[in-house]
Amino acid sequence: MKIDVYLPILLSLLLAALGPVVGRRVAPALAARVLTASALFTAAATTWSLVLLAATLIDRAPPVVAEARDGGHRLPDPVPESVAVAAALALVLVAVRVYRACRAERVTRRALRALCAGYPPDTELVVAASSVPQAFAVPGSGGAPGRILVTSAMLGALEPAERRVLLAHERAHLRHRHALLVAAVALATAADPLLAPVRTTVTFLVERWADEQAADAVGDRPTTARALARAALSAGRRAPSCALHFTDRAITRRIAALQVAPPPHLWPLAATTLALGALPALGAADATGDLLHLLTHAFM
Amino acid sequence: MAGRGPQGRAERRSAGELESEVLATLWATELALTPVEIQAEIRGGLAYNTVHTILKRLYDKGLVLRDVDGRRGAYRPAKNAAELTAEAMHEALDRGPDPIATLQQFVTGLSPEEEQALRDLLSGGAHRHRQPGGGTP
Repeated sequence: MKIDVYLPILLSLLLAALGPVVGRRVAPALAARVLTASALFTAAATTWSLVLLAATLIDRAPPVVAEARDGGHRLPDPVPESVAVAAALALVLVAVRVYRACRAERVTRRALRALCAGYPPDTELVVAASSVPQAFAVPGSGGAPGRILVTSAMLGALEPAERRVLLAHERAHLRHRHALLVAAVALATAADPLLAPVRTTVTFLVERWADEQAADAVGDRPTTARALARAALSAGRRAPSCALHFTDRAITRRIAALQVAPPPHLWPLAATTLALGALPALGAADATGDLLHLLTHAFM
Repeated sequence: MAGRGPQGRAERRSAGELESEVLATLWATELALTPVEIQAEIRGGLAYNTVHTILKRLYDKGLVLRDVDGRRGAYRPAKNAAELTAEAMHEALDRGPDPIATLQQFVTGLSPEEEQALRDLLSGGAHRHRQPGGGTP
């Protein structure tokens, strides 16, 4: 119990360090899936560890103490009380953060759905007559189909082959449910803020994944790279307010990746990451067993 | 027509995807275009009849209009719905960074150095020979 219970927290740090490495080396489709799954496992295990640590406070609850004293038991003291109290406070924080993340996701989905309301259901492309170059995928939900929303300024900035790249890129987001992956990793990070670097990596990887799919669809990597460059230039010049301060050279890295061969799958590295994601769950399960054992002793 | 390269790929695209492409072309040029002009602009090896059918479907949905003042058989994009969508989009954007930050945007902001690097790529890329098999006629 003593070590197991802290294991998920340690492994969160390790996953946070490993995430960007996996993101750089492994094919984006595989890396994004593996990192999201590992982040979800780790976040769940970390939260459960906090529950266990907070549960040790039950030991000190007056009825338990009285009962144990009547039975002539010496009460176990698995963790310092200050740690247990800190864990209970952290749990409250986790609950608030997860609630906020869910609400933000719901608000976004509703706002996006509203943008496409009124268009015929079998229409994929929704154009907004706007001078701000902008393009994004609107995920389908509740029977509504996924759509691609592009402004007229963005369409006008691109050449015909590049427009096909743009459409193929957004289509890949919809087809592979990237919004779901991004929402899942956002939820994991809300529960376990140590995983923030994994979230950044997955957000970047789904763009890379869509770039690779687009390059495949148009059959031409240089054109795909040029489409990204032209879109970024028109968006950067025309609408600085829309820049998300996401200036970790994301677009430059995406273009650079398209100028070389697609990255390999590297299953061993992917499998290691998944195993790392599963470890915290094992630690948490072991710690749960220990705590149950302690509590049973306290009551018996 | 249905061969290798982009031409062959065009034939495999679904009707919905082709509709998007024709609509995107009309919006990009902002001019009324005839099916023949659209066919040339797309360069995807689409048959004239296919383009015509797609235009008719877009017309039935109210997404394109027949250019009554201009040339016979030319189409232009319907602006009304697109303007409403733009208004709603800007409203959502102005409401704060929260809704738009989680969107899957095609591209995000640039630093000055990045901007220069991209310009270099585009000016170099314009003269580059197309890859064999991926060429256009």
